[in-house]
Amino acid sequence: MSLVNFTAREITCKIVYYGPGRSGKTTNLQYVFGRVPETRRGRMVSLATHGDRTLFFDFLPIDLGSISGFTTKFQLYTVPGQSYYNATRKLVLQGADGVVFVADSQARRFDDNLESLQNLQENLLEQGVDIRQLPVVFQYNKQDLPPDLVLSHEDLDDALNFRGVHSFAADALHGSGVFETLKGISELVLRRLADGSPAA
Amino acid sequence: MRALEPWVGPPLQEFLAESSARVTLLMTSAGQVVAQHGFTRSLDVMSAAALGAGIMASTDELARLMGSGRFGAMVHQGARQGMYLSAFDTPRGRWIGLVVFGPETSVGLVQLFFQQFVDELAAAAPPEAPQGPVLAENFERELNASLRALFGR
Repeated sequence: MSLVNFTAREITCKIVYYGPGRSGKTTNLQYVFGRVPETRRGRMVSLATHGDRTLFFDFLPIDLGSISGFTTKFQLYTVPGQSYYNATRKLVLQGADGVVFVADSQARRFDDNLESLQNLQENLLEQGVDIRQLPVVFQYNKQDLPPDLVLSHEDLDDALNFRGVHSFAADALHGSGVFETLKGISELVLRRLADGSPAA
Repeated sequence: MRALEPWVGPPLQEFLAESSARVTLLMTSAGQVVAQHGFTRSLDVMSAAALGAGIMASTDELARLMGSGRFGAMVHQGARQGMYLSAFDTPRGRWIGLVVFGPETSVGLVQLFFQQFVDELAAAAPPEAPQGPVLAENFERELNASLRALFGR
């Protein structure tokens, strides 16, 4: 849940990057970390295995600056994507204000995307959160791979994006779509905070 | 000292003075900082809160798997300083306290005064959290400008 400090006029929101293993969640945060000026971001904390797979979470705090007179800070988290780590995924998901679902666009990862999306819905429900009431955007990552290996934005929308929420094609390794995705989820989360209405 | 709500301040100041701890962070179970006091410049507060909440959440889950209920607190004692981590219920939900202490005090004193601090917080909390309009309707323009500045576009 967003924290609003009326005395210091400060807002803190938690955004979780969710999706199957190796879909590019950590890469999104690494790109943001690399592009945002040092004065506007904290240290990136990664709890990873020796093979650089996320074990618990990655964490990156960024300072969006002043919005409507409030210093606005976002805390970006990733979850471990491998199905083995569901217990830790649930913990990281606690109190999320918004979710970026990072799907792997490769056709061979189609089932993994579906399984992860289903897992997200189940884990949210377990915490009493209806995914329809939570700001969510989709990012279809790895769209830079050869067209015969990946599904198109439209195909992925048909398969995953039942609610017709915002979705973004991306190549997180080189940064394409990363900024747009962050902007998309930021708008939804702040809009929800502004008018208290469920995310569209 | 920084606190999300002013009623947290006096009990927090008293706790730090009595326990002689160096730093105290209070955070939600989601890892968001609600108050901080002490030599917080020596600590990356946001990262410490995220990690502290992660430790507490995984410990709670381990306790559940073991059928032990919840563990009250955790202590890590290093050569130069120690850390006391404890979760507790408040009228604002479940919070976590992360206390860093040095050789000038002891874990026993920290634990003793922490329990007292939790009781004082519960007594000091007003029944309702402050509510009010937060963002202007047309905040998008400022958000877009902020994000453009962040990404250098």
